[in-house]
Amino acid sequence: MEQSLRVKVNGQDLRREVPPRLTLADFLRDRLRLTGTHLGCEHGVCGACTVLLDGDAVRACLLLAVQADGREVTTVEGMGEPGRLTPLQRAFLARGAFQCGFCTPGFLATGEALLRSGRRLTRAELPQLLAGNLCRCTGYGPIVDAILEATGSR
Amino acid sequence: MRAGFDSDALLVRGQGGFLADLDLDALDVCFVRSPYPHARVQSISLPGGRGLTGTQLARLAGPLQVDGPGLKAVPWWPLAVEKVRFVGEAVALVWAEDRYLAEDLAEEAEVEYEPIPAGPLHDEAPDGVLYDGQRAGGDLDAAFGRAVRVLERTFKTARQTPLPLEARGVVAHWDGAAGRLTVWTSTQVPNLVRTALASSLRLAEGDLRVIVPAVGGGFGLKAHVFPEELAVAALARHLDRTVRWVEDRRENLLASAHAHEETVRLRLALDAQGRFLAVDAEVTCDVGAYSVFPFSASLEPVTTGQTLFGPYALEAFRLRALGLASSKCPAGAYRGVGMNAAAYATERMVDVAARELGLDPLELRRRNAIREFPTATAAGRQLDSGDYLGLLGRLDAPYRELRRQQAEARREGRLFGIGLGFFNEHSGTGASEYRSRGITTIPGFDSARVRVGEDGSIEIATGGADAGQGHAQTYRLLAARELGVAAEKVVVIEGDTDACPPGSGTFVSRGAVGCLTALTEALREVAEKDLAPGLEVTKLVDPRQVFPSGAHLAAVEVDPLGLNPRVVRYLAVEDCGVVVNERAAEAQVRGGVAMGIGGVLLEEIRYSEDGQPLASTLLDYLVPLAPDVPEIEVEHLESPSPLTALGSKGVGEAGTIGAFAAVANAVADAVQAELTDLPYSPDRLFHALQG
Repeated sequence: MEQSLRVKVNGQDLRREVPPRLTLADFLRDRLRLTGTHLGCEHGVCGACTVLLDGDAVRACLLLAVQADGREVTTVEGMGEPGRLTPLQRAFLARGAFQCGFCTPGFLATGEALLRSGRRLTRAELPQLLAGNLCRCTGYGPIVDAILEATGSR
Repeated sequence: MRAGFDSDALLVRGQGGFLADLDLDALDVCFVRSPYPHARVQSISLPGGRGLTGTQLARLAGPLQVDGPGLKAVPWWPLAVEKVRFVGEAVALVWAEDRYLAEDLAEEAEVEYEPIPAGPLHDEAPDGVLYDGQRAGGDLDAAFGRAVRVLERTFKTARQTPLPLEARGVVAHWDGAAGRLTVWTSTQVPNLVRTALASSLRLAEGDLRVIVPAVGGGFGLKAHVFPEELAVAALARHLDRTVRWVEDRRENLLASAHAHEETVRLRLALDAQGRFLAVDAEVTCDVGAYSVFPFSASLEPVTTGQTLFGPYALEAFRLRALGLASSKCPAGAYRGVGMNAAAYATERMVDVAARELGLDPLELRRRNAIREFPTATAAGRQLDSGDYLGLLGRLDAPYRELRRQQAEARREGRLFGIGLGFFNEHSGTGASEYRSRGITTIPGFDSARVRVGEDGSIEIATGGADAGQGHAQTYRLLAARELGVAAEKVVVIEGDTDACPPGSGTFVSRGAVGCLTALTEALREVAEKDLAPGLEVTKLVDPRQVFPSGAHLAAVEVDPLGLNPRVVRYLAVEDCGVVVNERAAEAQVRGGVAMGIGGVLLEEIRYSEDGQPLASTLLDYLVPLAPDVPEIEVEHLESPSPLTALGSKGVGEAGTIGAFAAVANAVADAVQAELTDLPYSPDRLFHALQG
């Protein structure tokens, strides 16, 4: 019943046997113990489980682990280390872009994908680009500020 | 949770350690939930040896139950016994080695139901009334007799749910040798959970340890004790295994706690100058199928009732407050609780009055605002402090500027509206207040302990519980200020009943009232004793209610085609007393306003006429997204409370309360219609504009 999966996660090549019905999110959380990818709804709306798949922001709850076969996944654990945070993580800290922190890894993944896209981000349009991620604590303003700060466009 | 100086840096790396992240070798539990709103459970067949029915679990754990004046005490069992009373109520549980297998078992469970078409939900309450209360002050008849005008209107708020991004979850571990149960739960009230568990499982409190991991938002939802907590704990002891339940979003929407479904009928007596003489109010709350623990079915009707016309001087006041049972998810606390409905109904009514009298809404508020503090109100509240004219005065210039913009927008045919939200709220309700109301399920006191380490480090532990607000940072700032130590030297522990002094947890914005008072007193005693290494000081306080207040101003534009209201400007002037941590206070206000915007424009859980919930995903239950929330300007006006150590008054709920009023009035002003029922969705605006 198990299926073979080869995937690069946070720069590391892995080979695992997994049940075909295992979601990518549960693969990361339960099999690899990368629990920074949080589950907020498991039906693809809240964006908390957003990770990078070959550089694109995707919802790990809507993908099966086997769909990541041959591809590269980056989770929040692959973004920055203690004392070596990414510019985006540093901006989140500086701007107070989270309170409880549950949505943060998803916003970081979405934010990273936006930063890497090279498109010019403006205060006017950024909220629309973040509409796939839910935050219940901040009212979003500090998250928008943090991503703009990381682009250096403010 | 133990928060060192780098706790924020952990969160920004996803390493906060939420309940589902705990690395414990546990069996996964899945609940079997009713698809019927009201039915007798005929039979349950569970896959071999891997499940328990409600009747079986009832032998292991007793029910939650709240009694008190005006209340009907109805038992809420860990799993339904004999009959179900709302869609989503758990009738059985199953367990397996992982969640996938547990869900397979739940699919295999066979439950036969016999629907009950009519009749009371509870034998204890044949008329369906779970709470009935009244209060009155002043001479109502005389005031209405003198009135030159009496206005009567009815306003409704929608059924909502707090929806923290992290849903609920419980892990329980039974140590048979020690006879001790450890329960990790995502809660705002660890001590209340411990007390309720001890009573349900017939254990001594000392044999229970409740630990709160990092919590991904609470907003009142996690201020309850839930049947699932009892069930999972009982199962751990029964199986002598560690068991875990992580709620999914569907369960969370159907069967955690709802809130805010209220009908507020107001009669307002006015004199010739537009002065409010008296209010006669009836508040009816649909509280769902059970009386929530520990707050009971009185929570919202009473909170709304006593907050009505809060900032206005009245000669007389009369209230009837009712909590009615229904075949819906039980209703409990959600940020602002009944104060949202109170501010909403009051401030809509004030705008209706302004329009009827041909007066400017800001001027009418100024004319009626309470001017002297401290004071006792006709509704029986003891207002500790305030500067209500000062709050309104701060809005004056931006309000006039927005009116100019509005005139221009209207000339262009745009639907542009301005709304005010003027309110006060109570916070920090203490033990004596709860006892005087006959409520015994909430301790009401708060506590803090300060220890000085041999190395000069400072350890702070309180009876509060952080749900993501960032208590630790505020405590560190305070410790640095009071003791002159570096913030890096301060470690904060909350949410561990073995490691913290007992307290009430965190709700009713009590953190800045009870906990900060206890902590300040403890820190000052430590300072007096020159931070002697090994010193330990614990303080316990019974806080008295204090009254934060605020005046909010919102501008809304409604697009004429889709009738989608969009908040385009928002200013919140808050009086939460002395601000201890400005960044945290403003963050609370901004997040609160966003939730208020959701309450007015988006959030609604509807049920079909036959009792089926119509919102079971986040595509049905809409909450504000980034484009729905404007930049929120926050100003502070500080009128210190004489009743707290620092003069602080609490700030967790003010943003939401004010926004319910200000955003609603702005939408009504934009479409020039007398809107009464929330949420102000495009379809509702369409019908209002037709009518």
